[in-house]
This record gives sequence, structure tokens and C-alpha cells, in this order.
Amino acid sequence: MTGQAIPRAGNSTACHGPLPRDIPQRHSSFPRLFMLKNAFLTLLALAIAIGGGGGSVWYALKTQDGIGAIRIGPWTAFPDIGTQAADPYSKARVAREGVLALGQAEGLSFIAERDTDGEQLKRQCAYEIEGGFPTARFWTLYAADRSLGVVETGKPRLAALQSYQVLRQPDNSVVISVSNRPAPGNWLLSDGFGRMHLVLTFYDTPIASSTGLSDVTLPQIVKVGCNA
Amino acid sequence: MRRLLHAILLGLLGAGIVHISVLLLVPEFSERNAWSRLAMATDLYRMTRLDAEAGGTPVVKSVDPLFYAAACRFDLSDGMVRVKAPGNVPFWSVSVYDRSGHNIYSFNDHSATGRVLDSIVLTPAQMIEIRKDLPEELQGAIFVEAAIDEGMFVIRSFVPDDSWKPNVSRFLEQSSCELQDY
Repeated sequence: MTGQAIPRAGNSTACHGPLPRDIPQRHSSFPRLFMLKNAFLTLLALAIAIGGGGGSVWYALKTQDGIGAIRIGPWTAFPDIGTQAADPYSKARVAREGVLALGQAEGLSFIAERDTDGEQLKRQCAYEIEGGFPTARFWTLYAADRSLGVVETGKPRLAALQSYQVLRQPDNSVVISVSNRPAPGNWLLSDGFGRMHLVLTFYDTPIASSTGLSDVTLPQIVKVGCNA
Repeated sequence: MRRLLHAILLGLLGAGIVHISVLLLVPEFSERNAWSRLAMATDLYRMTRLDAEAGGTPVVKSVDPLFYAAACRFDLSDGMVRVKAPGNVPFWSVSVYDRSGHNIYSFNDHSATGRVLDSIVLTPAQMIEIRKDLPEELQGAIFVEAAIDEGMFVIRSFVPDDSWKPNVSRFLEQSSCELQDY
């Protein structure tokens, strides 16, 4: 480094008389290498910042089980979604997916992604939904795909049930079979392969105000078997 | 090595900042929110069906399959908006949203006089104005005071089974969303 710098310093003094001695040092290769390394580190930091920051937002908005969720057994609800009081994650989810969330006087939706044992719900499997339902004017239950639209079964029967049409047990609880084969009692049709969500919505219900949510029990989802 | 660690730490700190700023900017810049989707489908003060039953893909997703829904966009800076729907259906509920999709106010058929949907959305200033002399024909209406300019009015109606489909469809198709001036 110094070997390169000294002759140049000599040259410049010969041509232009006295010049500051420290100028040649700027032209040495060490600062250039240093700058390149600096640039690489800056780029690395920026890549981590932008990639990590953007990716983590995308991931947080993609997962169903986000911040602001209330979990009751296998069911998840976002009571604050779509209100001014919602957390930023819910607000971003509403904006990105174009959701018009139910108001408190309308109802509250619960989404199940997994059964009671914690296994992912699958469209090719049969499940039994069993238990009591909280107070509401009525409720609806439907099998949904990943984007929470009702599953396309290609059959005239809709993959949905509502509380006015279900048969009840003597203790007012309800047993629902989720299957691609007809089942006695209450049958919720589901068909196809892949992941499934179950969406249970209570309409005109006191549980939609968050104080009512603390002592709510929701039905269990038990896997019966799968068509491999 | 220390410099690399330093850069990674700095990157992670930056990731946190980017995470927060992206999160807060998503609602501002989203072109996929309900308002934009409705704006692509129809004009202001037009009731638009949101469910797939009316043909085509649904405008706004995640509507209960046992429900039909319709929505209209309004702008309160033009004046107050009156929404009416005739007919008798098993259940209807209404939500008023602001432009970014926040639920401002909601009510259902139990809150309405005679279960008839007749509602007026207006700003607090318009409310003061109309309270001075309430016109006869507005006395049974539900007043929704919302401190917003642009917004959306959504009617949802329950379809218990197939036999109710024509009835509920008619209920939504006959609903009106009109600019009211005084």
C-alpha cells in the first residue's frame, strides 16, 4: 500500500510544488476494499430489513391464528375485526382481503382449522361435531376452502347447515357428521381433497360483545376416519 | 466478523421498522379492499349484489353461503343517504362501513319498527339540521349518525332453504339506496 503511494506523492511534488502530503493516501486500495465491504454489509442489512420486514408481515397476515384472536377449543374468532378498535394486523387483513366483517349486532364467526386433537382438517376425512352451542337467534355452519369460501362439491346440496334444520339431542346439544357420504341425523356434506376450514357463525347473539365471550363453550370436532 | 454481526443486527432492527411501517401502510394503499372492489363493479348509490347467486364472481368475499347480501357506496358530503327495502324475510342485518372497511354501525331486524328496513345515514351536522324539523315520512326510520364522508351500506339476509331464495332475492333487488336532500 505504502509502496504504491510514495512514488505518486513524489510525482505530484515535482510538478506542482508543495502539496499536502496526505492526498495520495486517498488513492490507496485499502479504502476502496473497505468501501466495497461496507457496501456489501449495508446491502446485507438492507436485504434483511426489507425481506424480513415484508416477509414477516405477509406471514402474519396469511396465518389464520393471528393477533387479536380468541381461541375456544378448536375454534378461533376475531371479535374486534373490522372495527376501529381492531389491532393493526386485523386492519391490514381486512384491507388486503376485502373483507366486510360482521358487525356486533349482526353476528360473530368462528373458524376451525384443526380438530380437537390439533390435527389439520381435511376434506377427505369424516368428522363429528358434537356439543352445545351458545345462545343466538340462529347459527350457520359451513365447510370452507382456504380462502374461506364454501367448498365446491359439484352436487346440488350446499356444504352448509343452519340451526333451524338440525336435529337436537334430548339435552339440546347437536351432533353433526361431516362426511362425503350421507349420514343419518345431521349431515354436513364435504367433498374433495386438501385442507378444509369449518366456519361457524352465530347471528344476533350476545356473545358478539366481547364480555359474553369469556364463558362460551363451543362444540368439539372429533375425527372419525379418512378416505385415503 | 464483528462487522457482519453488526450488519445482521442492524438488518433485524430495520426489519422491525419495515414490518411496522408496511403493516400500517397496507390499509392505506390496498387496492383490493372492499371499497375498491365495489367501485370497480358499480357507481355510487347503486345497490349491488355481493353474493355469487346473482351471476359472476362475488364482489366481496367471505359471505356466508346461506346468506344473500347487497351493498351500495355513498358519499355523505353530497347529502344524507336513505336505504329502504320492502318485504318480509326471516332475518336481515345491516352494517355501515367507512371507506377502509371499518364497521361503524350495525343493527338487525329486531331493532327496526315492524321489521321493515328503512334507514338514514347522515353526519352529526346533518343530524342537528334534521332534528329541528323532522319530516313526517322519516319518523319510522333508523338514523345512523356517522362522522364519515364516503362509506358503504351492506344488507345481509338469511336464506334458510331453497324455497326462500326468490323471496330473499326480491327483497335485495327491490332495496333502494338514494341520496336525500333537504
